[in-house]
Amino acid sequence: MSKRFALPTTPRASRLEWVLWGLAGLGFLVGLYGMYDRFVFGHLNANYGSYVPWGLWVAAYVYFVGMSAGVTLLVSAWYLMRRPLASLGRLGVWLALVTFTTGMFLIWLDLGQLGRVWRLYLRTNFMSMMGLMAWLYLVYGIGLALALWFLWRSRDGEPRVMRWLVYLAVPLAIAFAGGEGALFGVVGARPFWSEGLPQILFLVTAILSGGAVLSLAAALFTIGAPNWDEVVAVLRPILMIGIGVTLLMEWAQVSMGLYSAIPARAASLNLMLFGPYWWVFWIVFLGLGLVAPLLLLLFVRPTRLTMGLAGLLVAVGLFGSKLNIIIPGLAVSELQGLERAFTGPGLSFQYFPSVTEWLVFVWVISFSALLFLAGRRLLPSLLGRAETQDKPELSRVATPAS
Amino acid sequence: MLDKTQTTVGRREILVKMASAVFAGLVAPAVFDQLTSPSDASPALDLPKLPEPQPNEDVLVRMLRDLQRALQKPLEQRRWVMVIDLRKCVGCHACTISCAVENKLAAGVVYRPVLEEEIGTFPNVTRRFIPRPCMQCSNPPCVPVCPVNATWKRKDGIVEIDYEACIGCRYCVTACPYQARVFDSGRGYLDETPVQASRLLGQKAANVYAEAPAYEYGKAWARREGQSPVGNARKCHFCAHRLERGLLPECVATCIGRATYFGDANDPDSAVAELIGSPNVMRLKEELGTEPNVYYLV
Repeated sequence: MSKRFALPTTPRASRLEWVLWGLAGLGFLVGLYGMYDRFVFGHLNANYGSYVPWGLWVAAYVYFVGMSAGVTLLVSAWYLMRRPLASLGRLGVWLALVTFTTGMFLIWLDLGQLGRVWRLYLRTNFMSMMGLMAWLYLVYGIGLALALWFLWRSRDGEPRVMRWLVYLAVPLAIAFAGGEGALFGVVGARPFWSEGLPQILFLVTAILSGGAVLSLAAALFTIGAPNWDEVVAVLRPILMIGIGVTLLMEWAQVSMGLYSAIPARAASLNLMLFGPYWWVFWIVFLGLGLVAPLLLLLFVRPTRLTMGLAGLLVAVGLFGSKLNIIIPGLAVSELQGLERAFTGPGLSFQYFPSVTEWLVFVWVISFSALLFLAGRRLLPSLLGRAETQDKPELSRVATPAS
Repeated sequence: MLDKTQTTVGRREILVKMASAVFAGLVAPAVFDQLTSPSDASPALDLPKLPEPQPNEDVLVRMLRDLQRALQKPLEQRRWVMVIDLRKCVGCHACTISCAVENKLAAGVVYRPVLEEEIGTFPNVTRRFIPRPCMQCSNPPCVPVCPVNATWKRKDGIVEIDYEACIGCRYCVTACPYQARVFDSGRGYLDETPVQASRLLGQKAANVYAEAPAYEYGKAWARREGQSPVGNARKCHFCAHRLERGLLPECVATCIGRATYFGDANDPDSAVAELIGSPNVMRLKEELGTEPNVYYLV
């Protein structure tokens, strides 16, 4: 076997990494029952139905695929600008592939007929946004896999083909990050969705979530983030600008929708802002997801702890924003009186994910986390030169970038 | 006094007749299913001869006549529409239930709910009932969003779903502005009911209905876990399987107030063509440009 393909010595796992393995393993075991339920009982124990046909899994698919696009865009931009973030870039490619797989897994599980997914490729309706996106995802996934392959083969160097893969990846990632917004925007039946803002908001939040997860990954893992100052110099402004733009766009969406007072749109906004799950918007998304990390980044010295925490808060908060796009858009009746006309399972506008939905969600995320951690362990050559295993210096302060 | 032989013969006759009746009752459903299964549908329909138009005849007879005339035309020359007179609808929901029975709809699947609306305050108050089938729109927003071409608009106007192509993504369900599409998640009305061994009570006895196939889109769809239409989008289809046999949609035939009309709008002599020309006609969400083919008289 050539030295080129020999795996380097993998450092021992840190205590933090063991904790992550433990949490992911626990989630994997706990969520197994949800997977059993999904495959044996189908959709019987899910709370989405006819009036609210999309729920937690669709929100999670949109979130993770957007995150993957964001990571890809950021890593590609660094690469094209010839910034010396080779190792974080490699980690980013692996992260992009794992998050993309997570999103695809969740949306596959959401289908009513799992075995007919091939029809998306052999019977495609290219006039459908979903049909178009299926092909974009396929090309993107193949591109990511190829990038990973070439990076793994090249160890520390930069393979020449990467430039061409990056040229392909950037427009693809923009296309389907914005396309996700278009998936909702073209549905004229839902005034909450059918405006021009969601498409741009999806792209902005994709970049923001990508930056957030990269910050978290860079802070958590010693391997792959050799130059902490460089990481801060790049990611900190991205997070701050991304949060600022997201706040501005959310303000635009909410204020215009409420001011116009078009009942169909305002009803969804009122549900989001003042309904039974108001706390998802005000506390999870706005408070923890945007304001808290912004204050952290503005006023606290950018250590690994603060950058990692800011990334984690933004990542969690943005998931709340995806839930707040999908569910309020569906949980408002399009015809007055429909909820009382005929009752039955799935014929209700009240939605909260069922236990099965949560367990499947936990299992898929845990599986992806295990996959990510295993990749770091089994393919250290993928992630650049293996570093000596020091404890993460969480209190190390970044010096100003030159 | 009765001859004992005659009495014995009389008892034997009765027993034979009873046995025949029991036998007929046992085999009739199977025979009937065979006769009405879509596989026996013939393009050349042997339609019953209807009486000549009478001055005060039931409008159902007129609509059957309209239907027979339409069935003589090529598919592309028909435009099926429904007209619902809201002044006559009493909100009995018989159309909802008869549709569910005709199409063997499962729990959580409804094709034609009846919306109830209360307008005004006492003493100036009224209630209005609005049956809402699928609008079979001329510009259906549910068709272009399907990623696998599993739904399309037929030449006669009915928006059809291919149950064997549908992947259950529910994009069409979100796209319908009338929420006419539903998702069949596989639930049944008998779920979690006690399983009894008796022939009169419980799940086993009632399952005869639940397991009977639904005849939609020209095929028999038995209800099996994981098999279509479980996991599919479903909706009203103007009882296309009944139209093929010269029968009116079930909701039209059932309506006790004769509030629902059905026919070919391309036929100027049809009842629906006359009604569409009324000054008090309206359609739901007309501003969206979907061009629904269900009209309401208010």
